[in-house]
Amino acid sequence: MSAPFSIAVLVSAGRHPVSGVPRACRGDAVAMAIGHSLAGSALRVLHAGTEDEPSLKDYMAYGAKNIEVVPVREGDDAIAALASVLRGVDVILTGCKAEQGAGSGLLPYLLAEALSRPVIANALEVKIERKDSSFDARIRQFLPKGQRRQIACATPLVIAVHPFAPVSLKYAYARQISGQIEVIPLTNPTCGAPQPDWVLEKAARTRVRLKAQEKKSGHARLLSAIVSEVKGGVVAFEGTTVDKAQVVLNYLREHRLVDF
Amino acid sequence: MTGMKRVDPRRAYRMGSTGLRRIVLGESGAGDAALRFTSNQTDSRAKPLRSSVAATRWHIAVAHAYRGRLDDHAREAIAAAAILAGPEVGVLAVILGAYHENAAELGADKIAIIEDLEASRYEPQREEAVVQSFVEHYAPEHIFMPDNLSGDGDLGRRLIAKQKGVAATHVAEIDAAHVATAWSSGPVLASTPLPGIVLIDAGIVDTNLPFVGAGETVTPPQLPEIAERFRDLGLEPSAAEAIALEEADFIVSAGNGVSEVATLEQLARSLGAAVGASRVAVDEGKFPRSKQIGASGKTVSATTYFAIGISGAVQHLQGIKACRHVIAINRDAGAPIVKRADLTIIADAEELMQALITRVAQAREQTDATEANR
Repeated sequence: MSAPFSIAVLVSAGRHPVSGVPRACRGDAVAMAIGHSLAGSALRVLHAGTEDEPSLKDYMAYGAKNIEVVPVREGDDAIAALASVLRGVDVILTGCKAEQGAGSGLLPYLLAEALSRPVIANALEVKIERKDSSFDARIRQFLPKGQRRQIACATPLVIAVHPFAPVSLKYAYARQISGQIEVIPLTNPTCGAPQPDWVLEKAARTRVRLKAQEKKSGHARLLSAIVSEVKGGVVAFEGTTVDKAQVVLNYLREHRLVDF
Repeated sequence: MTGMKRVDPRRAYRMGSTGLRRIVLGESGAGDAALRFTSNQTDSRAKPLRSSVAATRWHIAVAHAYRGRLDDHAREAIAAAAILAGPEVGVLAVILGAYHENAAELGADKIAIIEDLEASRYEPQREEAVVQSFVEHYAPEHIFMPDNLSGDGDLGRRLIAKQKGVAATHVAEIDAAHVATAWSSGPVLASTPLPGIVLIDAGIVDTNLPFVGAGETVTPPQLPEIAERFRDLGLEPSAAEAIALEEADFIVSAGNGVSEVATLEQLARSLGAAVGASRVAVDEGKFPRSKQIGASGKTVSATTYFAIGISGAVQHLQGIKACRHVIAINRDAGAPIVKRADLTIIADAEELMQALITRVAQAREQTDATEANR
């Protein structure tokens, strides 16, 4: 099956957060599964990094027949490199957040800005429909508190897929063996947009909460130490059941927890 | 030891101007009341202004309001902007959506409320344009936003991509000199100097401030006419029962004190809430295991948690740690849930649920009627 529109998915080098074992990043694997459901074998799978990245094997096992590696070394601008490769691609799928490094979740936004096209994040389902001469993407977006939103947008666009997307990933060792890795030759590695210089700390420690400095008199400090905070809230003992129900309703309304 | 003269520790006193206790002679008892009175007095005393100097530079905090209020995460972003601001730095809070509280408590010197940009609608380009206009006008040193999935994280990243400046997201620790994020989502932090745009994670800033901001309201700019590239097809109507407990915003939960499950489910439907249960109720077979909330069940983060007939064992309270408003109905005023709950009703669960169902139905009818009249 080949699609009339071009589609690509970007996969990153995943690492287990505790053991550091190379693995497919869940968000990227899910994005790849969505891409396969949209375009079948026409889906291009790209990785910005090195060809000997061990986690690429996992993506092959999840169904990537041919992974194209955009050679990006540390310090190179991955966004510019990817943008030069992806300029003609209609739909670009990515995960929401990398598992290695800062994991800022900025890549889809920066890539969309570099290609000057719209970006939609936290997609759960993607459908591509033909509309006159162009294509229209319909996206179901994840929102917290159980809400979902439907958005439509014309192609070309960048879609970041939420890891909760309802797809089942199938791992096959045979595919891992038969998959291929191909390196795309890049002519001009450019120096990119400013990135924060993250300095890694040596060991894990508890995080310090930001607190406003307070200048208190000794007496005030003593008072705050001996007067314990009142625990628990209002307790309603009295009245009929109807009165008590009204108390609950008043509370809900006062804190705008209900819309009536 | 009889006959020994003892000093009454609760003897009446008055607070002197220097903050010292002055014993009132000739009176006995009532000291507790006096203490409560004085501690109330310190609470009600107005907090000082953060800075009395006119602002020459600015910090901007941007957040969406929901149902007229900011959630804890958004409040942290504004508080961070205020705490990290020096005396000559002002704090502008840009609040998207209708807002009915006072952001001056969070240290905001200027408050811009853009009522038109509700979080329920998807208009990223207009939001971006509005925030951009504030950025151009105030030229802020730092922009603070909550890094959440309900709009602010998305808007923040759009701004970062547009401005091409140095920025930090998923910030797990912040102070005047640096920000830190969890490296590879692990326990080790990586830090960098405080960048231009900071998207903070929840729970990293204490929002109890010893000062207030000036709280001056700024008239929002004219909303730009922008043809959105996105067509918002609206939020999906989702049945409350269908929402996973971990995601639900309103949960009605049943414990041992609930005899009629049908009444509870009816109450949940009338309030538009998801149904949960304590371990005891699940063990009795009244609810499936998937509904269990607590240490061996699910951990929930609903805004409203309605605990009916739940005594509140520690394992259960562990599961509802993140809930903001806990309302409990219980027959025993000494149950541990009373300490956790913001509102406790001492009553029989069944009777109160019935009363509440009728009252909610009436209230809904009234609201519908007034809206129809309008």
